Amino acid sequence: MTMKINDNGTDRDMTADEIATHEAWVKVKETENKAAAKADAERATAKQAVLDRLGITADEAALLLG
Amino acid sequence: MANTQTTVPLFVANQVLTANQQNLSAGTGVPVFATTVTRDAAFGGSNKALAEGQLCYIEASNVVQYYDGAAWATVGPAAAVTSGLTCVKAETAVSAAASATADSIFTSSYTNYLVLINYTTSSTGFLTIKLRASGTSASTNYNRQYLSGSATTASADRTTSQSSYDPGFYTNGDYKASLRLEIFAPQLAQATNFISLNAASPAGYSPINMFTTGNHSTATAYDGLEILPASGTWTGTYAVYGYSKTV
Repeated sequence: MTMKINDNGTDRDMTADEIATHEAWVKVKETENKAAAKADAERATAKQAVLDRLGITADEAALLLG
Repeated sequence: MANTQTTVPLFVANQVLTANQQNLSAGTGVPVFATTVTRDAAFGGSNKALAEGQLCYIEASNVVQYYDGAAWATVGPAAAVTSGLTCVKAETAVSAAASATADSIFTSSYTNYLVLINYTTSSTGFLTIKLRASGTSASTNYNRQYLSGSATTASADRTTSQSSYDPGFYTNGDYKASLRLEIFAPQLAQATNFISLNAASPAGYSPINMFTTGNHSTATAYDGLEILPASGTWTGTYAVYGYSKTV
């Protein structure tokens, strides 16, 4: 598949090397984003577990910590 | 120079004027002096008394001056205005590109830079930034902290050791987003700091904002920038400015 790059103001097709480099980076980025999303989800789960134990909602917790 | 004079003569009654004296008087409505020293020496004594309203031109500094009765003041020209921002990369249009590069923009002429980007992304990947040296992008050691607001929800997070700095929320083909990015001393062989503000609308015209700070911890001197979405392509414009280091 053709990929475009704006190379210092000039539009052109990426070279094979540039495509390979870009696609490898996109995969790395996907991995980084998945790790960040997983960490977010784990924090949300842990937060909800504490709220459940306390028997209050997130809004009520915010009021308490206000 | 032809107009330079060293005296402002005072003629007396019945004096016979030489051609040179008359030519000097006729040719220089405003006396021209080489320097302020020769200007000051040209008045008083047997010459014309210095008085309020006197004009002169100083060759050394190329200015016109007037005497206000107590001191000389400069009429003009005004000192050149030093611009606070200088465009080092003209506004560049990008259309459905997976990447845009700008090389040879960070130099010793400026320490800090401003990057303004208007963009849409074709997908749900953030618009990201990489620093470049000699045409090669650095893809490690980016760290960022963000604070984002969407309606009544605020969120914050920190990511470290990333493959890019991610200051631009995606638009997924929707309304155009804008990004203001400041880059601090990228051309020095030290860690580079970033500060960015992003206005995006990933769902119609409902705005969200994202304030991001971060750094690239590799102590390398960079001369360029790559702007690329984490997935898909981006369309828009960008321009880069250098902050003046002098007044």
